[in-house]
Amino acid sequence: MSKTASGRTQWEIPQGAPVQGLQPTGSPPPVQHTKRRQYAAGQTQAYYGADGLADPTFAGGAQQQPVAGGQLFTPGLVGEHQFQAQQGQQPGQPAYYQPGQEPEYINGPAYGQPPQPAYAQAPIDALAGQFGQMGMGGQKQFQLYTTNLLTSPPEPRELYRPPPEIRLPPNSCISPSPLANSDPSYKRSTLNAIPTTASLLSKAKVPLALVITPYRSLKEGEEPVPLVTDTVIARCRRCRTYINPYVQFIDGGNRWRCCMCNMSNEVPQLFDWDQVRNQPGDRWARAELNHSVIEFVAPTEYMVRPPQPAVYVFLIDVSHTAVQSGMVATATRTILENLDRIPDEDQRTKVAVICYDVSLYFFSLPPGSTDPTMLVVSDIDDVFLPKPTDLLVNLAEARTTLESLLGRINDMFQENSIVGSAMGPALQAGFKLMSPIGGKILVLSSSLPSVGAGALKNREDPKILGTAKESGLLQAASPFYKTFAIECSRAHVSVDMFLFSAGYTDVASLACLPHYTSGQTYYYPAFNAARSEDALKFAHELGEVLAMPIMLEAVMRVRASRGLRMASFHGNFFVRSTDLLAMPAVPQDQSYAIEIQIDESITTPFVVFQTAVLHTTCYGERRIRVITLALPTTTNLSEVYASADQVALATLFANKAVERALTHKLEDSRDYIFQKLVDILVSYKASMTSGGAGASAQLAISENLKMLPVLVLGLLKNVGIRQSAQIPPDIRAYSQSLLTSLPSQLLIPYIYPTFYSLHNMPPEAGTVGENGIILPPALPLTSERLERHGLFLIEDGQTIFLYVGRDAVPQLIMDVFNLPSYEVLRGGKTTLPVLENAFSQRVNAVIQKTRESRRGVYYPHLYVVKDDGEPPLRLWALSALIQDRADVLPSYQQFVSSLKDKVNGIGGGY
Amino acid sequence: MGAAWLFLFAVFMAGALLFGMIFFIVNFSDLESDYLNPVDLCNKLNKLVVPENAVHGSLAILFLLSGQWVAFALNAPLVAYNVNKIINKQHTYDATEIFRTIDKHKKQCFIKAGFYLFCFFYYLYRMIAALVAESQ
Ligand SMILES: [Zn+2]
Repeated sequence: MSKTASGRTQWEIPQGAPVQGLQPTGSPPPVQHTKRRQYAAGQTQAYYGADGLADPTFAGGAQQQPVAGGQLFTPGLVGEHQFQAQQGQQPGQPAYYQPGQEPEYINGPAYGQPPQPAYAQAPIDALAGQFGQMGMGGQKQFQLYTTNLLTSPPEPRELYRPPPEIRLPPNSCISPSPLANSDPSYKRSTLNAIPTTASLLSKAKVPLALVITPYRSLKEGEEPVPLVTDTVIARCRRCRTYINPYVQFIDGGNRWRCCMCNMSNEVPQLFDWDQVRNQPGDRWARAELNHSVIEFVAPTEYMVRPPQPAVYVFLIDVSHTAVQSGMVATATRTILENLDRIPDEDQRTKVAVICYDVSLYFFSLPPGSTDPTMLVVSDIDDVFLPKPTDLLVNLAEARTTLESLLGRINDMFQENSIVGSAMGPALQAGFKLMSPIGGKILVLSSSLPSVGAGALKNREDPKILGTAKESGLLQAASPFYKTFAIECSRAHVSVDMFLFSAGYTDVASLACLPHYTSGQTYYYPAFNAARSEDALKFAHELGEVLAMPIMLEAVMRVRASRGLRMASFHGNFFVRSTDLLAMPAVPQDQSYAIEIQIDESITTPFVVFQTAVLHTTCYGERRIRVITLALPTTTNLSEVYASADQVALATLFANKAVERALTHKLEDSRDYIFQKLVDILVSYKASMTSGGAGASAQLAISENLKMLPVLVLGLLKNVGIRQSAQIPPDIRAYSQSLLTSLPSQLLIPYIYPTFYSLHNMPPEAGTVGENGIILPPALPLTSERLERHGLFLIEDGQTIFLYVGRDAVPQLIMDVFNLPSYEVLRGGKTTLPVLENAFSQRVNAVIQKTRESRRGVYYPHLYVVKDDGEPPLRLWALSALIQDRADVLPSYQQFVSSLKDKVNGIGGGY
Repeated sequence: MGAAWLFLFAVFMAGALLFGMIFFIVNFSDLESDYLNPVDLCNKLNKLVVPENAVHGSLAILFLLSGQWVAFALNAPLVAYNVNKIINKQHTYDATEIFRTIDKHKKQCFIKAGFYLFCFFYYLYRMIAALVAESQ
């Protein structure tokens, strides 16, 4: 068998032979090696002068120079040296990137765009070749390539690849459009070939689930979702499926056959009529027959009541702590500055502001006046509205009053010395105000709710952290937050929580409200607006939330071909019936995972999953967003493995882990996902390798699942799940809410952060290329890659660390931080200056690009971390390097070797 | 005479409890077939959980007070189980989690229904036995 430069052996190919020259190797051929060397020298010269090259310590890529300090070293196991040698770059080994080709990839096609020919043919990219260059004509088969995890270290680039290509049988789709099947950013399946029977699925051990982000944001340059405006909506009479590119027209085009249940349906009379021009239209040009993601304007049958306006109710904590932290001032200023961005095209949007400490402060905002009146309600046991009108006002009409109010709130409560929070009663008041309409409540809270309904106690107890009782702290302490959430869901009210407390604020309980009302929790521990970074982050995120075009009064349902059933649901919504998810206000870029069961054998060559979200836009139009995904079926186990999508699997595992942590214990949740991974490996070994059930010296997995073990390791080390007795429950609960709501594009970096070396990045990195700013090549997450003289960026979508080596030369510090030397540099939250030199601008560009490239409203903090700086910050940053050993948590090598033992039937947990 | 009356009463109680459980199971099935929404279901059933436990508990106490050791021992485990649930505040159904836990709940109801059915016949037998013993 062929042995590649990386030492990986491809020892078995169950199906067919590999295409010549397309061995699945992750490493580039050694040709590029000289370039890398030249490049490193160039960098070194730039910073250290020409003679720097002579000093081996400074010669970046030539020799690995691990950073001193016990924490960074992984204790040397015998077998590890070989492994580390492969992970690190050795003089004789090829570089991980090729300046000529790499950037094209990194900035190249996003998830799901078909690999471009140039990319597929690049020598580095055998994997894409594997997926991209299959035979023409007939249904293309999935090729399974086996890789040995023991000899092939994780390659971060793999995570940016599109999932295994969906290969539908010929003629299953009536449209030639590449948009006829769903893009993975909207909907992806853990398996891109669906097993025809439940027994085949259970044999593969790979869970079947959909990861859906029905309302994802559109980046600049992306086509908007096509809209069908003529209200001719063809649906199956029996299963209510919307017409889509996978139906068949029969009977001379007068009828269509449903792709889910095979029912023959009549084509609506006006289906071929162009209502805009009032002439016969071209059926084949209709958007719903060419696009997998589509919106219909809904006729009145789809309305229980006329489309309601968007409503925003702000509940602002004005207690002593809130005012002193600067939260009130920042929040009111941000709302004021973003009034123009709140969706209000039809001038119907309504707004109310209620402030609270232990009392409630309502504001009457009569239109046309500039003088808001404050009405105080101190009776919080039986909340009532002090005035029937003018509390919830039209944004456009009451604009001036609102502006003057927002400008004044902070001054009004500047001297407030009251401590305590009546958040529950404030929620009830806000709910009373808006419940006839629905909409969004934004809660800004700086302290633990202490009085009235929903009052909470400080239950943080350091003694039970790390014990079996810890999961109790992650569940709601008071039933109020669940029962109130259900009331909200019924009235189409969604709640967003912005939590700022310096102390314990019981995120676990409060996050229930956003969880069941399709809102989102935002957490700013120890917020202090005096630090401009804190204020900036919060203002940015609140601004984005306000500007977001939300879907109102939404319900979502996923239908699938006969034999498939949606079994359980994960994400922020309320399950209103067996398959109906109630989502009062759907924010953009929120992700949901749905597990699927195969109830009866599937006889069709392909199956269809259709998600329909009936909603009201924030511009008052009732619409249905439909997302159709068609996947081939298979009876072949090797195809099941070859079609598995590791990113979707990791997303599902994140959801399952959190569910498990809440219903069982944190430890059970870790064991559960570890066991899931072991099951997949055991089954793969037994059925796909010649080793069968006996002990093996290798750990086999298909090439497309190669990153799954490291993603699972990242999940096991994530703050939300990690084994530790030091993680405050608030931080855990917040992390868990992220794990269950982030779209894959944000979730993957959250469990497997990106890591760049900046001091020796390729010359084009940080400059503007064809696809925007070019990013440096991502490195594997191991401290092996840290160099004492280097500057590194570690980023997980929520936080950015700029790691500065202790031997960083003054010129580097001067160029980036405008400071004379490493010694005077201070660690901690920073805003990086943009200086008049190319390197500073490139570093800033890279940071800018990482902030922009993810979906979601998050604006990560930037921390400068000094190599010999404050231990907690340094440990925090280094904990992102998940392939290292940390405390009791294993390194990647240890993890993989314990996986191997487990697969061979020896040993316990990880 | 006392034992016969006691078991006659117990037969009625066991019958009532059995019907109660069947009512629970029917409601869960209704939820699964979308005839009922989770909020209404939980509101409806949560009102009945404590009365059901109370009826069962007081029957067990009655056995204890009248010295019916076997009958008491039969019921003691379930009483302990119910009390433990109430103490831990896990006796009510949670509408937000109902679809995730419905299989567990249904299984519990089936087991309880089976238990009450067994009790029903056991009490009946004890009642007859007591009547026979008295008439002799
Ligand atoms: Zn149908």
